[in-house]
Amino acid sequence: MRMQMRSQWSIAAALVAVAICAAGFNGSNPARAAEMVTLNLYISGDTNIFDLWKKALLPAFTKRYPQYKANMVELLHGNGSDGIYDKILAAKRAARTVDVDLWETEPGFLDQGITDGLWVKLSEKLVPNIAKVPVHTLEAADYYGLPYRGSSVVIGYNSQFVKNPPSTFDDLVAWIKANPGKFTYCDPNTCGSGQAFVTAAIYRYTSPDKFASKAYDVKEEAAWGPGWKLLKDLQPAMYNNGFHPNGNVAVLQLLAQQNIWMASVWSDMGLDWYSRGQLPKTMKFMQITPPLMGDDSRVMVPAGSAHLEGALTLINWLLTPEAQTMIIDVVAGYPGIDWKYMPESVRQKFKDVAKPFAPWPNPKYLADIKRLWHEQVVGGAP
Amino acid sequence: MGLALVLPPRLVLIFLIILPAITAVVETLRPPGGSGFALTNYAHILGNRILRSDIRFSIVVTVVSVAVTFSLSYPLALYLRFNTGRLPALLAVLFTIPLFVPVVIASFAMITFLVNHGMVSTILYRLGIERFPALVYNATGIVVTEVWTTIPFAVLILGAGLQAIDDALIDSARDVGAGALRTFVSIILPLNATPTLITLTLLFIGIFGSFTIPYLVGGNAPQMLGVTMTNYLTQYLRRTESVTIAVIAFIIAAAVGAIYVASVGRRERQNL
Repeated sequence: MRMQMRSQWSIAAALVAVAICAAGFNGSNPARAAEMVTLNLYISGDTNIFDLWKKALLPAFTKRYPQYKANMVELLHGNGSDGIYDKILAAKRAARTVDVDLWETEPGFLDQGITDGLWVKLSEKLVPNIAKVPVHTLEAADYYGLPYRGSSVVIGYNSQFVKNPPSTFDDLVAWIKANPGKFTYCDPNTCGSGQAFVTAAIYRYTSPDKFASKAYDVKEEAAWGPGWKLLKDLQPAMYNNGFHPNGNVAVLQLLAQQNIWMASVWSDMGLDWYSRGQLPKTMKFMQITPPLMGDDSRVMVPAGSAHLEGALTLINWLLTPEAQTMIIDVVAGYPGIDWKYMPESVRQKFKDVAKPFAPWPNPKYLADIKRLWHEQVVGGAP
Repeated sequence: MGLALVLPPRLVLIFLIILPAITAVVETLRPPGGSGFALTNYAHILGNRILRSDIRFSIVVTVVSVAVTFSLSYPLALYLRFNTGRLPALLAVLFTIPLFVPVVIASFAMITFLVNHGMVSTILYRLGIERFPALVYNATGIVVTEVWTTIPFAVLILGAGLQAIDDALIDSARDVGAGALRTFVSIILPLNATPTLITLTLLFIGIFGSFTIPYLVGGNAPQMLGVTMTNYLTQYLRRTESVTIAVIAFIIAAAVGAIYVASVGRRERQNL
């Protein structure tokens, strides 16, 4: 049933894409269209993201658009990104094209490139499918980076032991106190899911907007006091009297061994572990209110790209339900397009987690949160 | 010709170690936002209760690890020196195994071994001991793992020192009626004093500066300085603090290193 639904969608998506291409790029030279064009993609991330591109997205794309070939360069954990940036910048300064057609990288390079004027500013004219992308996520990068997938931190719980999961942050705190030893979050120095829980405690007593924007003033951090007190009070109720493991994976392992019943986890990692049978069958995931933090992953097209037309075709195709469904199937990510364009089965699977997520504090505040957490929460009595 | 041979290592030493170290020390002496030189950064670090506890924790964990390693290694080195046969030969091979296990793997192995539902807990539980302190993600875990990984190194250096003691001296001691204990206290211990000191200082410096084991096996707080430094540099984005902690750690290690240099110097003079 699910397969059938997907193939129907694929056909529909293909038709839409072909129609768009015919409409959007009918200005291109038919003689040139027959030639093979090789697109150069630079993808930074972990191996799961490489697999997503290499084994799912790119084969499907080149099948749909046989005139394109894809050459993908893997930048493991962003290694080598500085060199790519310099290459794009140098090409722009020399007014030449660059053989980087698409780049997925960290937000820092996106921002820097906006300042240096390196990216194509996306619009519905260039990429018709961005009409399906929620406007606020496009505005967050000023239409320069395309948010093609996302993930957020959610609460994972074992429904065998937790019959009435908490739905708000305050309920969660009450649950942790009522069930000592059955919850933990990872050391925020080592993972995002722990940073999200700690930040949620801080946001509980202040406004996220103040800390998510670019402005930084160390005096504002006085407002974090009640959050630290809350976290410190929770310590005795944490797993092993206040132990926070290192890394996202260590928390999932504790859930898997049923040492703990609930934890803050990344939606994509949790769902991925669950679908591979590495977590108990009774594990469930949900977002609380106010929500925990999340990220959109973006790809950029350099304005100097040597194969601009191909790059735009590719990112337009990335926003089809066909490509978006692959993202969900392979890495359990959130779609970049609005949930309402996704197949019903996907929406059902994600109904408890597919909610808006809160913004992260800016990097300077986040660095201070990590340091102060260490001093205020686990630093212990003198 | 001689100069040409020592030039490459000298250049590496100067450009990759000495010059960066000087720059780093100068950086820590600059007060934040000011000019001139002051000890502001050091006052700031040493005035922080958490960092003081990290420094204290590092020293205590290191001293305990060195003491345990040494008291396990010395008898083993003695046994291997004065016994021949199948069993000592087998032991000599066995004790070197940790030397060939990468420290990351050793750390994860230790975690699996010592963790709540691990082998050690299970055995203790079977023996009827149901309440015992946590064995991992704290100082105990760090000490156990450090000891496991450093014993081969300690035995090798101590063994080399013991090997250098002339059998004739020991035989003559026995001839004049000295027992095993007397031979040990009057002959072996004094003759092996320098290698012993060298072993102790090298163990101290190695364990004090370790990162992987405390990072993986240690708890959230307090932490050893290697982990603290890394956090300050990569997580808290506070480079100057990180460098200042590094200089403090260097001063502590250098104080211990001075003992090493002194004992090596004494041995050189003895050999002359």
